[in-house]
Amino acid sequence: MTKLTVAVALCLGLMSGTAFAASAWTGGDDLPTSPLSCDGAAAAPAAKPYDGAEPSSAPDRAGKNITVVDIPKLIGIGYFNATSKGIQEAATELGNVEAKTDGPTKANIDEQITFIDNYITSGVDGILFAANDPVAIAPVLKKALSKGILVVGYDANSTPDARQWFVNQAEFNGIAKSLLDNMAKEIGEDGAFAIVTSTFTTPNQARWIAEMAAYAAACHPKMKWLETVEAQEDNNLSFNQATTLINKHGDELKGIFGMTSVATPASAEAVTQAGKCGQIAVVGLATPNAMKPYVEKDCVKSVVLWNPVDLGYAALQVMRAVADQSLKPGATTVKAGKLGDLQVINGSEILLGPPFTFTKENIGQFDF
Amino acid sequence: MTASGLLRHESVLAALIILALAILAMLSDRFFTPENLLNQGRLMAEVGLVALAMTFVIVTGGIDLSVGSILGLTAILFGVFWQNVGMPLPVAMLAAVASGTLAGLGNGLIITRFSVPPLIATLATLALYRGLAEGISQARSVRGYPEWFFFFGQGEVLGVPFQLWVLAIATAVCAIILGLTPFGRATYAIGANETAARFSGIRVSATKLWIYAGAGFLAALAAIIFVSRVTTTRSDMGTGLELDVITGVVLGGTSIFGGRGTIVGTALGLVLIQALKNGLALSGVKGDGTIVVIGVVLIVAILVSAIIDRNRGG
Repeated sequence: MTKLTVAVALCLGLMSGTAFAASAWTGGDDLPTSPLSCDGAAAAPAAKPYDGAEPSSAPDRAGKNITVVDIPKLIGIGYFNATSKGIQEAATELGNVEAKTDGPTKANIDEQITFIDNYITSGVDGILFAANDPVAIAPVLKKALSKGILVVGYDANSTPDARQWFVNQAEFNGIAKSLLDNMAKEIGEDGAFAIVTSTFTTPNQARWIAEMAAYAAACHPKMKWLETVEAQEDNNLSFNQATTLINKHGDELKGIFGMTSVATPASAEAVTQAGKCGQIAVVGLATPNAMKPYVEKDCVKSVVLWNPVDLGYAALQVMRAVADQSLKPGATTVKAGKLGDLQVINGSEILLGPPFTFTKENIGQFDF
Repeated sequence: MTASGLLRHESVLAALIILALAILAMLSDRFFTPENLLNQGRLMAEVGLVALAMTFVIVTGGIDLSVGSILGLTAILFGVFWQNVGMPLPVAMLAAVASGTLAGLGNGLIITRFSVPPLIATLATLALYRGLAEGISQARSVRGYPEWFFFFGQGEVLGVPFQLWVLAIATAVCAIILGLTPFGRATYAIGANETAARFSGIRVSATKLWIYAGAGFLAALAAIIFVSRVTTTRSDMGTGLELDVITGVVLGGTSIFGGRGTIVGTALGLVLIQALKNGLALSGVKGDGTIVVIGVVLIVAILVSAIIDRNRGG
């Protein structure tokens, strides 16, 4: 009887675990989460069969010159300028790839789709993309595959059946752990914090927040989440939202997470202008150049990110490997030039590496 | 302004289109192919549908800035009706289109009952409807529509994209209504001189109500096609659509002060913009360059037709 009760309780527990998948924090998505263990022991990567797609009747491009177009979410911002720089570096190094970056000036799903559609018609060999919406972009990517065009994503994924490979800059649970561990170190295990994100639907940010909520519940249960606010990726709005948070929560607020490369420096600026340096910690994702002033003034101690130049570089290396048939379904690693061997995870994703924390000691070495 | 004056602008446009098509076809051998042209028709259907209604609105001397938000709101309601309320998909579709039409009717009521200038009224509903869309969706996308539904945005009938048929039929209907019916004449009369129209016994308020409701209806129809084309629903759908639509209508020769404009002109304006966007992209011009060219063409087209008008008049 006891055994039965335990079994029933366990089943119910598991069921509720899946049924209430919606994130505990606003701005998280409702996909299942997989928090890392608190001590950082890496879980063995679960073997998963290749779940990407294959282009139909692709010509043999092994060793031949190919033209590749890179269509990021939008152009003209520092982050995608950096990935574009990495793509050009890889193209120069490889010598047999002609790559260019083009895309909308606003992060707009419809415009991005139109850009991709036009490049399909113009007949490129490969498309690199960073999706504004994982589902909305799928039909046009499938169309590209059906015309024999190679499709590789980076930065922001599409549904796996609409592309071949995806270069994952950092696993969501890795970023979540890094952000929360740094925050706990700065404000203590019982501090309260708020989050400034882009919008509640932006796929990467929503995923990180969901993973953060799951990791916090497991490893920092006493930390208190106050609220999540939307600030698009707008400098002024991010600053205003962070200022509002500081005024609204007063002394209770001990930390602010910036979830975008715009929100983090804007939050740091808000904390600086409010004269709260040292009282309110800012931890977030941002590019080093934007954060240098705050880190040097000791207002911000940890900035978490990957290297976007490496991300673009890896994306083009993967594209070349796909064209050369050296990266095929079932592979476990791929050679990516100066980055060495990168690991294949989740069936059809290539992991760039663990996230990187910029601190006062090392931030001076980076320029992007 | 006479009918021949209108035809002049359309002749200028038609000449520009032929010139543009010829140049673009020379620049890229992938431009002037049936496959590409039909695909472009698919991509312009949503803007095209809304532009038809916008032509009526601008001919009355009004403007509707809320069409993009109505598109977003309708898309979200469609997803919510289907997934959260549990309506069968066809019913959800009808209910969503009805809601979009009501949203347009709301614009019309604010404008006619409270004499609020259309610019102000629809600027307010631009924010209101977008806010509703974001609030109702709880910032979550609705996905997982059944395969048959994708026919509206991705399917073909007799080798021509489905939405291009819808656009063609809607264009013909709108052209007949605006050009050949008493309703169309009332629309022109209101735009030319609203007070005179009122004293001539034209039912000004009723006509405007119909027109703004019609704008809501066509924006809602565009929403369904858009959702079907991209297979998902998001609250930011249609953001900035109003500017693309107004650009097409104004390029088509409709006067922003009201009283003149034709559906044929709007159709030509839309075709020219779409041809430029696509053709320039295919010939290797980057996105930012394309926007500059479209701006220049808009100014040139309007200047040329203004100069012709003035010479004729003087």
